[in-house]
Order: sequence, then structure tokens, then C-alpha cells
Amino acid sequence: MHIAEGFLPAPHAIGWTVAAAPFVVHGARAVVREVRERPESTLLLGAAGAFTFVLSAIKLPSVTGSSSHPTGTGAGAVLFRPPVMALLGTVVLLFQALLLAHGGLTTLGANAFAFAVVGPWAGYGAYRLARSLGAGLLPGVFVALALADLATYVTTSLQLALAFPDAAGGFAGAAAKFLGVFALTQVPLAVAEGLLGVLLFRVLTVNARPELERLGLLRPAPLATTEEVR
Amino acid sequence: MTGLAVDDAAWASAWRTRSPLDKLALSAGLVVCALVLPVWPGGVLVALAAVALALGPARVPARTFGRAVRWPLAFVAVGAVTAVVSVDGGGLGWAPDAATRAGELVGHSVAGGAAVLLLATTTPMSDLLPALTRLRVPAAVVEVASVTYRLLFVLLESLRTIREAQTARMGHAGWRRSLRSSGALAAAVLTRSWDRARRLQEGLAGRGMETGLRVLPEARPSSPAFLAATGAGLAALVAVGVVGA
Repeated sequence: MHIAEGFLPAPHAIGWTVAAAPFVVHGARAVVREVRERPESTLLLGAAGAFTFVLSAIKLPSVTGSSSHPTGTGAGAVLFRPPVMALLGTVVLLFQALLLAHGGLTTLGANAFAFAVVGPWAGYGAYRLARSLGAGLLPGVFVALALADLATYVTTSLQLALAFPDAAGGFAGAAAKFLGVFALTQVPLAVAEGLLGVLLFRVLTVNARPELERLGLLRPAPLATTEEVR
Repeated sequence: MTGLAVDDAAWASAWRTRSPLDKLALSAGLVVCALVLPVWPGGVLVALAAVALALGPARVPARTFGRAVRWPLAFVAVGAVTAVVSVDGGGLGWAPDAATRAGELVGHSVAGGAAVLLLATTTPMSDLLPALTRLRVPAAVVEVASVTYRLLFVLLESLRTIREAQTARMGHAGWRRSLRSSGALAAAVLTRSWDRARRLQEGLAGRGMETGLRVLPEARPSSPAFLAATGAGLAALVAVGVVGA
């Protein structure tokens, strides 16, 4: 869930926009450089953006029987790196705001900070850490997607708590409330998104191995020796 | 029909031929008024103005407008209730001025949401994105966003078709199977998006693409009358909103 239009008071809306701006501008620079060097990347990056949007439209079966949607930014962060996701995530948020009335324009900065900055970086950090500890691609993908999903909602909850501190408990009280409503309920969904990622990448390692090798996620398979071929 | 009701409405809207920057100015003005003015009477007037303009001169179907606000309303309801519940010594209670605060939150959100929806239901993204270059967004970024917009519907169509086929084969019977099918679905959509992008790229390279995607821009001149009415209307809103509060 993204913060709806008009929900955040003006100073918070402006503050989060300022906070998210450097990351989005950095991502935009990376995209501009990439497109200048390789004009064909425009189409691949566009496809990545469209995939992120569409991934968030896949219904995730959840344990309680109701269904929810994956955030999709964790997969993007692993595949395309967080700086690019900062821009693509913001574009996706803009589309969600204007095509699905999901999120908003004044809250775009706050939502971008949670969804396109914190989520991808948390997921990518977890992925790198898992890989450096010797985990394989699939466990790495699981922690990346689950953490990116969870980190997004924890950030949203904290943003709301900052904007609406509790009358008695202050920020801490409000954080407990919002985390309980928006983040705790998200834990099963984060696990489900992690599992979805494992299934997604398992299919990709079979069907799209060259692409994964090109993106640096898998080491190129060693060529078979003459002995093995015989 | 593209499958996204708001997008369909934008293409069919009577305001489709107006300059995107004009409509952006109107909606942005209303959004700022919704955020800054007190809910009574400013916010209420913004909401009424946005709905009246959309359903009146822009001729957006009321059904589309009504359905589009359901999602944000769910968030607003949950968020507003959470904001005004107070945790006091382990017990839950209403914060002192709960009703007023909740009313304000809902008022700001509904007014702002209606103002954004006015833009969304009258301006297709493919009109709005080129207008962003005039607001100094780099051309490469606008192009990537435009490709995203155009591929989106192709991928949504794939998504729908594959899911239908999976469901017909009992792929979504039970939690385990459903999750497995969703993974396969995501993978299929991702590889299809790569394939589409590669084929588009090959097609464009064959036609000599070197620097970006050039499309013939549709000339939509800005209307001085529309801008003047926007300015006058917003000024009146601000005046009533400030004096009436």
C-alpha cells in the first residue's frame, strides 16, 4: 500500500521529496549515461519498468486466503541494481498514481523513498551479504525479495508515525501502532514474495541463463571438456 | 479497451485534445489547494470542483471515477483510524480530538485524490510524458518511461492470458500450486518483456535508430481562456478557503 494523495501534511510531503530526490537524480544520471553509451538500453530499461509495474499486479496467494500484491522492487534490485531501480521505481509509482489512483503526486516523494530507495537497497544489501557468506543464488534472492518487501512497509509505517505522533506515546507509540497495522501484517506476504522470487529465478536459471550471466548473477557455465562430450 | 479503466477514460475524455500542460497546471493547483487549505470549506470545495469538472466538461464516466477512488479510500480509512487511536498504558482509546483529526485527514486525502484523478482521467500518459521534457526532465528518462507505458499493456495482456491458461489447468487450486504458478507467471512475463524489447530494438536498428526514439509530437496549443479560467477559479478557491476557515 502506498501513502494516498493528501495524507501527509505539506512539510512532510516536501521533506520526503527532498530526501528521495538525490537517489532518483542519481538513478536518472545512471540511465542517461547508459542510454548515451548504448541507445538500445532504452528498450531494455523500459521493459524492466513495465515488468516491475506488472509484477505488482500479480496476485500473491497469502496464507489467510485473502490475496495481496508483491512490491516487485526486490527482484528489480537484484536484476538491475538499486540506482536504476530508484528511477524505475519512481516511474512505476507515477504510473500507479495516474493509472490506478494508487499513491499520489504530493506523496510521490515519500512513497519513492520507501518503495524505490529503501526497499531496493535493503533487498540488494541482503542479497550481497547472503552471497558473500557463501549462499547460492536462490537463498540470496529469497532474503532480497522478502527484506525489500518488509523494509518498504517498515519505512512507510515510520513515515506515517513521524507525521502523526501518538497523543500519549509520541513517535514511539505511533510507530508501534503503524508498524502493527502496516508492517506486521506484511510479514507473511514478505515471505510469500521471497518464495515467489525463488520460483521466478529457478525458472530463469533454466530458461534465461544467458541473460542472468550477462547481468552478472550467475557465473558462465564452464565449457564441457572433450572428455565429457564423448 | 486497454484494461486500465482510468487510462481508457483518459483516451475517451472530452479534454483529451487540451494542452497537457494546461491540465497539469489546473490539477497541480487543485492538489496544492487540497493540501494547504483547511478542509472546511477549502478542501470540500476542491473535491467538488474536481469532481464537477471531471464529470461535467471533461465527460469522464461517473462509474470510472467512483471505482478509481476505492483503493485510496481503503488506505485512507485504515490510516486515519490508526492515526487517531491512542495507545495509553496498554489500553486502546480514541485520541482527544479523534473525530476532528480523522475528518481532516480524510478531507485532505479525498480532495487531493479527486484533483489527481481529474488529471489522470483526462490526460493519457503518452501526452503527459513528452510534456515532462518541457519541465526539464532528461529526454532519455522520458523515453524510458514512454517505453514502459507502451509495453505495460502488452505485458498486462500476457499476464492475463497466462493466468487464464494456468487457472484452466488447475494451476491456482490451493496455496502451494498457486504460488508455483505465480512464480512461473512472473518468469514468463519477464522473459517475454526481454524478448519484446530485443525484437523492438532489432526492428528499430533496421530502420536506422541512432539517437533516441523520435515520434511526431501532436500539437496541442495551450488555451489562454482555459488558463485564465484556471487562474481565476483557483484564486476564488483560495479566497473562499482562507476567509471561510
